[in-house]
Amino acid sequence: MSIPAEKLTQYDEYVEALDLLDEESRFEYIIDIGKRADKTPFPSDCMDDVHLMHGCMSKVWIVHEVVDGVHEFRGQSDAIIVKGLVSMMTGSFSGLTSDELAAVTLDQVRGLNLGALTMQRQVGMMAMLKHMQKLSQRAENGADRSAAAE
Amino acid sequence: MTDLAQDLARAAKHHNLEAGFDVERIRQDFPILSREVHGKPLVYFDSGASAQKPRAVIDAMVEVMENEYTNVHRGAHYLSQTLTDRYEGVRETIARFINAGSENEIVITRNTTEAINLVAATYGRKFLSKGDGVVISDMEHHANIVPWQMLRDEIGIELKIAPIDDRGVLDLDAYGDLLDQNTKLVAMTHCSNVLGTVVPAAEIVRMAHDRGIPVLLDGSQAVVHSKVDVQALDADFYVFTGHKLYGPTAIGVLYGKAELLAQMPPYQGGGDMIATVTYDKTTYAEPPYRFEAGTPPIIEAIGLGAAIDYVSAIGMDAIQTHESALLAYGMERLGEMPDIKLFGTAPEKAAIFSFIQEGIHPFDTAATLDRAGVATRVGQHCAEPLMARLGVDGTVRASLAMYNTTAEIDVMIAALERARALFG
Repeated sequence: MSIPAEKLTQYDEYVEALDLLDEESRFEYIIDIGKRADKTPFPSDCMDDVHLMHGCMSKVWIVHEVVDGVHEFRGQSDAIIVKGLVSMMTGSFSGLTSDELAAVTLDQVRGLNLGALTMQRQVGMMAMLKHMQKLSQRAENGADRSAAAE
Repeated sequence: MTDLAQDLARAAKHHNLEAGFDVERIRQDFPILSREVHGKPLVYFDSGASAQKPRAVIDAMVEVMENEYTNVHRGAHYLSQTLTDRYEGVRETIARFINAGSENEIVITRNTTEAINLVAATYGRKFLSKGDGVVISDMEHHANIVPWQMLRDEIGIELKIAPIDDRGVLDLDAYGDLLDQNTKLVAMTHCSNVLGTVVPAAEIVRMAHDRGIPVLLDGSQAVVHSKVDVQALDADFYVFTGHKLYGPTAIGVLYGKAELLAQMPPYQGGGDMIATVTYDKTTYAEPPYRFEAGTPPIIEAIGLGAAIDYVSAIGMDAIQTHESALLAYGMERLGEMPDIKLFGTAPEKAAIFSFIQEGIHPFDTAATLDRAGVATRVGQHCAEPLMARLGVDGTVRASLAMYNTTAEIDVMIAALERARALFG
């Protein structure tokens, strides 16, 4: 399953921007994204255990909804850098159908070229992708069950 | 005088405190310390998690694998005999290092965690019963909490927590109050892995012994920073790990008084821990072998022996003096930063700095330190109850060792200033 290119424009923008930067500038770029994400309101009542993603060194909350058949994600973290990383992930891979989201590969996450910013964060990004795929799958299964019940 | 010049002058003053201890020469013994991280010289401030290894340890382990390797205790051949002698020689080295009464009081384990689990599973199951109390402190590593909780859930012992004050100093009066007639064991850290607090171990043991209560001390951090004498402390059990003591991973030590070890049942069953085996009955070996089922960590033991020889040649007193100078300098520099909140300001303390920058998540602080080549740990440091006591989700921890310098502390301070600029 290939993902239509127009659905990955935000992802491509990140890849291009990061590609032009040296390692130190990438670090500051992610911090900037984190700070900008801070200005987008995130529902405080969603910063709870239900939306908490486990296994991170900082807290990460991800809110998910299905709008017109595609998955929309918003993320929040208590650490600015992680907020930047969550924002990149949710920005890159929102607006996809379940099948498209399932087709996002770890290589695409690696393609963001954040590896130099330590493995911990790289691994954290992988965990975020898997978490987003799990949320979409859960919504899909829930919809299947509802349809079957009807 | 500029700020930089003042810093240099002050650092030089502290370097003079280190006279007689040639830290630059010691640094040359640790190959990894010459590498760079993110294009910056590595500043390794994560020794509390695991210390770096000197060439002597690396060479000893390579040498044994290249020229001497075989199994120990069982081979009817030259290599097995010579390596068994060497392996058992390490047991004697460990015994001398902590002044145990005999090498038979030294049980080789995988690490501190296994040593504590061993005591909980053997001594605990045999001598503790429902309603008995085990006293720990409010600044324990999970390794000295969870094994006792498991025993609590299994046989119904009670876990009692000796409190600390806001500096991280153990409340000795409150500790004394917990030593009632139900208390049957004290299991306490000798030095907090988060706060650096060094507890008055001899006093803790004496107070417990006055009431006939044995004491286990977790020396994972303490044994690295100062001379430990288990007989002077009169500790009943003393546990530590090899990898924080400049040795390899996967080897730890349980010291136990001979009369206690003799009464304890085996921990795990298998080879090496038996006297005789028939299908009807097995008899067990005497301590320490009774507690060492299976092929032991042979190469790791040789490495740990080399590490102990290495620190012993330098001298634990000299190491402690050097680290005390680092502690004083670090406390002074961090104390000058208005946005730094330090946790752990006990008068008796190892060179471990736990802190947060006000308004900045510890992860962001640690990530900025990492960009400057400064390796620290961030999070709860396997001490979640202590974090709850301190009222924080986590801290940044800079844990220093004998190979660190005041100049490296200056690098950390500069990186903290950058973090303030980036995130403040």
